[in-house]
Amino acid sequence: MTPIINTGNIDRKKRISQGVAFTIFKLMSYSVVAMLILILGFIVSKGIGAISWDFLTKAPEEGMTKGGIFPAIVGTLCLVAGSSLFSFPIGIMSGIYMNEYATGNKVATFIRIMTNNLSGVPSVVFGLFGMSLFVNTMKFGDSILAGSLTLGLLSLPLVIRTTEESLKAIDNSYREGSLALGATKLQTIQKVVLPMAFPNIITGLILSIGRVSGETAPILFTVAAYFLPKLPTSIFDQVMALPYHLYVISTSGTDIEASRGIAYGTALVLIVIVLIVNLLANFLRNYFSKKVKTN
Amino acid sequence: MTSDIRHKKMLTIDAKNVDFYYSEFHALKNINIEVEKNKVVALIGPSGCGKSTFLRLLNRMNDLIDGTRMTGSVLIEGKDIYAPNIHVDELRKEVGMVFQKPNPFPKSIFENVAYGLRVNGIKDKTFIEERVIESIKSAALWNEVKDKLNKSAFALSGGQQQRLCIARALAISPKVLLMDEPASALDPISTSKIEELIYELKKDYTIMIVTHNMQQASRVSDKTAYFYLGEMIEYDDTIKIFTNPTELSTQNYITGRFG
Repeated sequence: MTPIINTGNIDRKKRISQGVAFTIFKLMSYSVVAMLILILGFIVSKGIGAISWDFLTKAPEEGMTKGGIFPAIVGTLCLVAGSSLFSFPIGIMSGIYMNEYATGNKVATFIRIMTNNLSGVPSVVFGLFGMSLFVNTMKFGDSILAGSLTLGLLSLPLVIRTTEESLKAIDNSYREGSLALGATKLQTIQKVVLPMAFPNIITGLILSIGRVSGETAPILFTVAAYFLPKLPTSIFDQVMALPYHLYVISTSGTDIEASRGIAYGTALVLIVIVLIVNLLANFLRNYFSKKVKTN
Repeated sequence: MTSDIRHKKMLTIDAKNVDFYYSEFHALKNINIEVEKNKVVALIGPSGCGKSTFLRLLNRMNDLIDGTRMTGSVLIEGKDIYAPNIHVDELRKEVGMVFQKPNPFPKSIFENVAYGLRVNGIKDKTFIEERVIESIKSAALWNEVKDKLNKSAFALSGGQQQRLCIARALAISPKVLLMDEPASALDPISTSKIEELIYELKKDYTIMIVTHNMQQASRVSDKTAYFYLGEMIEYDDTIKIFTNPTELSTQNYITGRFG
């Protein structure tokens, strides 16, 4: 072959354009981090003053301008637990069905399209639907049950998707290896596929918890109480919840200006809860993926 | 008629008029192949010729792929494995398989080999233990792993993992062992270990091996089948195929003129 003819300073040009491009990429990704830090810093600096032991363990007082947010924390925890009880089993089993049993068939494609659409539905629509179905038609009233079911529906697409994606990530050679030894499909899923997919599935589940704990619209008409200083005693009770409490004291409280500090404090608690949940997700994923490898 | 039946009973694998389709693609065209007990048959041919597809027909691994269709019949020890009353999981106990890429499970070495026993309902601890040790020994892996049976199988080298996969397949005492390019992902030393192993295993099993390595085919097999574009061009004693093939196409392939 003939050598490439000298093309002037093309070498220098391509190196410069690469340098420029990567500098822009770098700046963009740094700016994302900067924005996150800015938001976090803003919430922390405004909210840290409100945080105290009493704030975390007492009910709101004096028209929600003083006191704590304990009932809202408990309410959010109840809703997270309730919605998980509903969405995890249904979502995981659907995900397994779609990826392991119904691959490529029309039913699975249909379910996939529907769940994708479901995840695109605005959360306030879920709220309205939950009110109409669970609160009114099924007569659960404004209750933890109705709110949990509504939030569960909301997080269902996410749970199905993460389960499906986690299962898809498992190389087919493991399934074939198991089936070739006379294992049934169910045994293969139980003993080989699920244990391998578990770390990623659990991450998805925990992230869906993070999502659920921050949602406001779905609980608006189904469970959330404007002001309810006592703790729930059954699943048919109403509860306060952190995101709705935040909304209430920032927009329609008795004295919005006076409760500003509490609002930022509530936001900080909410963010810290989501942050802890995400860190937990990371930790569990690492823990279980190590365990899967060595066990 | 009677002699014909007796003759058929001796065959471990008997494929007749096998045609196979991936949706519209006609992957195997009228394949006929007979394999006697305790023989090693090598399937050779260029990539995409259908040899792996044929191998995977014998334990019905192709069932897992959507839109495939087969006509003709495959008998293993006289039983039609595509008959409606055949359960694939029972068939796969009789016809073990070793894959191209070592695929041990993320379990301990011991549990990898015990897996096939456990999924088939065997609970007797002493039996499982004996069988696991026996299988690992048969796969010529015992000396390397005897002190770390409870360690993860992922900690083994590629060649060791592949022998572990062979041990895993042997543990459920199949009649036939299918090997889909079992050494193609391994270094030369591991490869020669696998080849020695195949030679040993021949005493107890009927083996069909897909390989791209001509020397390997000539070293390990008794008979060789040459596939090209979905057809079986030639099937004969390995020594004949490699010294004096009938078909020009076979000769071109084994001498490296194409493929």
